[in-house]
Amino acid sequence: MVWQGRETGDERAIRARIDALRNDINTSTTDGIGTLAHAAQIGSYFTDDVTIELGEGATAIHTRDTLMGIAARLQPRTAAFRLDLDDVSVEMVPGTAAADVLLTASFVRRSLSTGEESLDAREFSLVCQKDGGTWRIARVTAIDTLR
Amino acid sequence: MRVVVLAVISFITFGWVLIPVRAEGISMLPTFESGSLHLVNRAAYLNARPTRGDVIAIKLAGPHVLYVKRIIAMPGERVAFVKGQVYVNGAPLAEPYVRNRRQWDVPEVTLTSREYFVVGDNRGMRAADHDFGRVDVSRVVGKVLF
Repeated sequence: MVWQGRETGDERAIRARIDALRNDINTSTTDGIGTLAHAAQIGSYFTDDVTIELGEGATAIHTRDTLMGIAARLQPRTAAFRLDLDDVSVEMVPGTAAADVLLTASFVRRSLSTGEESLDAREFSLVCQKDGGTWRIARVTAIDTLR
Repeated sequence: MRVVVLAVISFITFGWVLIPVRAEGISMLPTFESGSLHLVNRAAYLNARPTRGDVIAIKLAGPHVLYVKRIIAMPGERVAFVKGQVYVNGAPLAEPYVRNRRQWDVPEVTLTSREYFVVGDNRGMRAADHDFGRVDVSRVVGKVLF
């Protein structure tokens, strides 16, 4: 509770945005809106020139439009996933409208045949920027916990 | 009064010293089944260093999601996989906890003074599907108890 009380309004806003992003990703199969609209909704959490680096062997994603295209194409597959975000820490960059975020993302996949769940967890660092009063993600970088 | 003392001791023990964790995934088979419950002893390395063969908990961004892996090489050592066999400083490592082995090949790496090399016991999976490698000592949360 003390820790929560020390958070600034911006830190709370960033946590709320990340939480909302997770909820939007996880509600993809039940919310009834179309695939493209849903991809646009997910894209709204990112800056126009977002860069997403998923680590060795994966091609980096540049720009929100590219991300939205990928999100639309992958939606049938991501519907079988649930995303959990844990250990979210937010550190404001002094003198700027930017913040560094560290979190653990867990991708929980449910087998359609057996109902069994498998989990893949990865650590990510995010750079967030305040854009027109709204916090958006400008950079996502996967961290190799084990190298 | 006894109940309060017991509650405080339980809170400290299970909140700070012995952390309950549930194993998820197959990378530690056959030692840990997916879904099994274990305890992480955070005090295990207060007066001792992790040693080869220890199963340890490794933090990612924080303490709520942890990797559970076995230490196979110590700081400063050289480690490699050749056709599934682990070599440490050029000598084959006996691993009685491994049941199935695929022909993993991993080029030799030399660990720094702060690094351990960790891997799961399930070598029957493809190496590409298995998270393993060097980990900094600062990420070690504690020793996993059976």
